[in-house]
Amino acid sequence: MGITGLAKLIADIAPNAIKESEIKNHFGRKIAIDASMSLYQFLIAVRSEGAQLTSADGETTSHLMGTFYRTIRLMENGIKPVYVFDGKPPQMKSSELEKRNDRRQEAQKALEKAEEDGNATEIDKFSKRLVKVTSTHTAECKELLKLMGVPYVEAPCEAEAQCAAMVKAGKVYATATEDMDALTFGSPVLLRHMTFSEARKMPIQEFQLETVLETMEMSRDEFIDLCILLGCDYCNSIKGVGPKRAIELMRQYKSLENIIENLDVKKYQIPENWPFKDARRLFIDPEITDPESLELKWVDPDEDGLVKYLCGDRGFAEDRVRNGAKKLLKSRSGTTQGRLDSFFTVISTPNKRKIEQAKTTSEANKKSRKGNFAKRGRPLK
Amino acid sequence: MFEARLLKSGQLKKILEAIKELLKEATFDCSDSGIQLQAMDDAHVSLVSMCLKSTGFDKFRCDRNLSMGINLESMVKIMKCCSNDDIMTIKAQDNADTLTIMFETKNQEKMSDYEMKLMNLDQEHLGIPETNYSCIIKMPSSEFARICRDLSQFGDSLVIACTKEGVKFSTSGDIGSANVKLSQTSTFDKEEEGVTIEMTQAVCLTFACRYLNLFCKATPLSTQVILSMSGDVPLVVEYQIEELGCIRYYLAPKIEEDD
Repeated sequence: MGITGLAKLIADIAPNAIKESEIKNHFGRKIAIDASMSLYQFLIAVRSEGAQLTSADGETTSHLMGTFYRTIRLMENGIKPVYVFDGKPPQMKSSELEKRNDRRQEAQKALEKAEEDGNATEIDKFSKRLVKVTSTHTAECKELLKLMGVPYVEAPCEAEAQCAAMVKAGKVYATATEDMDALTFGSPVLLRHMTFSEARKMPIQEFQLETVLETMEMSRDEFIDLCILLGCDYCNSIKGVGPKRAIELMRQYKSLENIIENLDVKKYQIPENWPFKDARRLFIDPEITDPESLELKWVDPDEDGLVKYLCGDRGFAEDRVRNGAKKLLKSRSGTTQGRLDSFFTVISTPNKRKIEQAKTTSEANKKSRKGNFAKRGRPLK
Repeated sequence: MFEARLLKSGQLKKILEAIKELLKEATFDCSDSGIQLQAMDDAHVSLVSMCLKSTGFDKFRCDRNLSMGINLESMVKIMKCCSNDDIMTIKAQDNADTLTIMFETKNQEKMSDYEMKLMNLDQEHLGIPETNYSCIIKMPSSEFARICRDLSQFGDSLVIACTKEGVKFSTSGDIGSANVKLSQTSTFDKEEEGVTIEMTQAVCLTFACRYLNLFCKATPLSTQVILSMSGDVPLVVEYQIEELGCIRYYLAPKIEEDD
């Protein structure tokens, strides 16, 4: 999913492009959430005793539970979320989707076996792998969001691409997803861990595309080529080229065409009829709805509607739903604190010393993970 | 080489007390004109801008421009080790990883030195446009601190309304509401006790009490505080530090929701 190893690569060579902060520091911002990604998270994570939450007649409700409570959490922190749903997958993704299907079937078989053996951890593991976001899930979610007064957008194609376009147009501040390809689609800001559970206490990671490009000394086109080389959803990558090799090749040859011309064919096998140009076009010019034509409006929640929708068959506790609706209403009422950076222009000066240090350390210590040196606020050694 | 000598270490102690609650860490930019600091709090609601002139120091030397990332909590710890009238010297090499702080008593009988590790900090400088503020209010700093403290008991937000008649601070909350009105003082014995208002246009803005109370930590630095306001721009709260420079706080107003 997304771009293989991009997050790690950025952490290694452009650590200054990543900032970690608490969720409340993003107050007052509008944020586009990749809905399919968050639904998937909810279906996997929102569970009780290893099984998904279900209604009286066995329909899954994990996604509703997740969407309801985590949206409330965002709104309580002063964030205005807008959910963006996937449209039809692009043609080029079909082989990737096929692969995922195969893997799902494998998991199904493994699950059956595990059930026979009665191995609880294995059952848990494989049943999570079987999770799939269906059209019923998305439809139910949209219904729920409507009742909550939270806007959503239906992308014609990939949700990340739509999010990226909305950020670029200044409609929202950032894209919230775990998929790194939002950066490849040109989203200036990417937030990770936004819809994670509060209990996990994960800081929000903020990636700034401009800083990534500046530190890597790359143009956006080169960055897209790098992502294709790392491995994206739309075509194969070259076998044997990992992140390290990929960045070296890009630095040396600047484009995929040049790399193909110069690459040692004995060592590396370039896939036959490699459709990298189509993948590139998909990243540069994806199918999207013009963000200017979208109207994002946050309205008051429909408390009774929510109770009717979530309680009863779906088995949500009425007092908790009413409570949640009140929280939503409260977060909308009154004045909100303005952000200073919306009045003054931010002139970031990257810390040169830190970048240099990151470079030398990553060279010296090849195995280094995202070492401590890259963290903010550590004393010098 | 950077070296600065201050006859009263208490001054720097007060400065640190005035910013340490808003900022955990900050970069001190040193040049031959003095020491500057500009930083936003984590939530990007307020900004501290401090400037200490080189002429305000007893001795000041800065051969090359230097940016020192300092953990303010650690520095406060060191500053607690001195008495207010100790003479203080700060020293750092060019490109240094550490900062040396030395204290000596007036009679030079006791000398102590501390070395502090510096940090690598991300810097986020803000370009602050020149603004002609519609209202400039000068008032005793202790009075302002008192009003902020008193009114913050009643609500989270403080409305500051400045008109020809004077300046009104008001708030409301669960238990009720509170208003404090100050008029321009016509006669006063000492300048620092007076309230003066320069106004071209009436302004009414809402601010978070929490931040105003944090700004008031600078009260010991100056007898007067200057509030500058214009419609829909951040408030400026300025404290002049005698002979040494000034601290300015900027605070984004609270805004009405429009959608």
